[in-house]
Amino acid sequence: MNEIGLKELLYKMADDLLILGHRNSEWTGMGPLLEEDIAFSSMAQDKVGQSLALYTILHQLGEQDPDTVAFTRNAGQFHNCILVELPNQEYDFSLIRHFLFDMADALRWEMLTQSSYEPLSLLAKKVRGELRYHTLHATTWMKQLGSATETSIARLQQSLTTVTPFALAIFEESPYEKEIIESGVFEGEKVLMEKWKLKIADVISQTQLMLPDWKTITPMLGGRTGKHSEHLQPMLEEMSEVFRIDPTAEW
Amino acid sequence: MDSLDPRVLRLPKVGEPGVVQPKVALDQFGSFEVFVQPREGKPFQHEGIVHSPNIELAYVLAKETFTRRFTCTSLYVVETRNVFVSPLTDGNRNVYDLIAAVPASGEKEDYEVYHLQKRGKQHVHVGSVKAGGLEEAMSMAKLAFNAGGIYNVWTIRHSDIRFTKPEELDLWTTLPEKRFRDAADYKGGDKLKNFLEKRKML
Repeated sequence: MNEIGLKELLYKMADDLLILGHRNSEWTGMGPLLEEDIAFSSMAQDKVGQSLALYTILHQLGEQDPDTVAFTRNAGQFHNCILVELPNQEYDFSLIRHFLFDMADALRWEMLTQSSYEPLSLLAKKVRGELRYHTLHATTWMKQLGSATETSIARLQQSLTTVTPFALAIFEESPYEKEIIESGVFEGEKVLMEKWKLKIADVISQTQLMLPDWKTITPMLGGRTGKHSEHLQPMLEEMSEVFRIDPTAEW
Repeated sequence: MDSLDPRVLRLPKVGEPGVVQPKVALDQFGSFEVFVQPREGKPFQHEGIVHSPNIELAYVLAKETFTRRFTCTSLYVVETRNVFVSPLTDGNRNVYDLIAAVPASGEKEDYEVYHLQKRGKQHVHVGSVKAGGLEEAMSMAKLAFNAGGIYNVWTIRHSDIRFTKPEELDLWTTLPEKRFRDAADYKGGDKLKNFLEKRKML
């Protein structure tokens, strides 16, 4: 097995989940509805928990411990796609990002239940319940707000148009794509993207929203190789503020 | 004397069936009652209320609002207006004494029956009956489940309930490594004690 390729896959998944988990947790206390605030915060915790599980596998492969990896790297050392680091705007933006990312994430984990790398296939089976909830939550809101009122449809549509170029970059290929596929670790980003497009289209077709023509979109690549937007570094600084002051702090 | 608490004012008078007051349109989302099954084999019990624009979202929101920390094997929701509530009782009066027999009518359907057996506790599912309507279901429940000492009864038409689908049962198999969700994990009391002891020594 190609260990660098495997680590690259684990890092990008873990970083996506940690960064999006943190971004989504910024809604805590400010959600549009008490019940939704609880649900969104809870899913943010799930994501951070999943990233911890992945960093733990990386630690077993010889990487540094999860806290060090999560709190001491700079933006350039993160492998997350740019989509997950974008600042929260209005709730429609966060919902669309949640929908587009989580549909891809759930499919990725579903594919990984067949992975030849056992720690990953076992973990994929363990997170299934959480992912079922995250996608149920995302699709139920899409179906509701995507056909509710003129305002809700227009706002979701605008966010959908803004977010899709970033969402397409979830599937930015790794330099070790071929080895990862050949060793049976993961079927690869291309297969994942095709599955994702079908799933997304199926949900969107049950609303009054319109998906853009994929051919006209240029993916906002770079995140997987550490080329991020200006938004990631300030977020990391805030996230790791306490850890940097006192690595032994408990709270 | 009338209470100053609007929640108390909304309650029906003792011994009378409740009347749902119409609300201003679009004032807020409607409410849905949430029932959870804490363990396999245990009856479903009423857990609380969520606000939602529809029953599907109510189900989604209920899951995290009421079952994120505690063990749970299943949950379901029903719109509040579809819960038929018996008259309230006073003292130790058995509610079934206030429920009259209703002649059978219409097509039979399944209705779920819930009892309030202890004041201050929640309604617990006791079984189901076949009836032609909510009131008839309550009189059927009197025949089937009247063991005495019951303070309140709810009946709900089975088809009004959004149940957990078989393929959704894994919603509650989640990663266990989330002790940070439990208040106890922060050991607030210990930290406070340590802090106070340190201060004493200064």
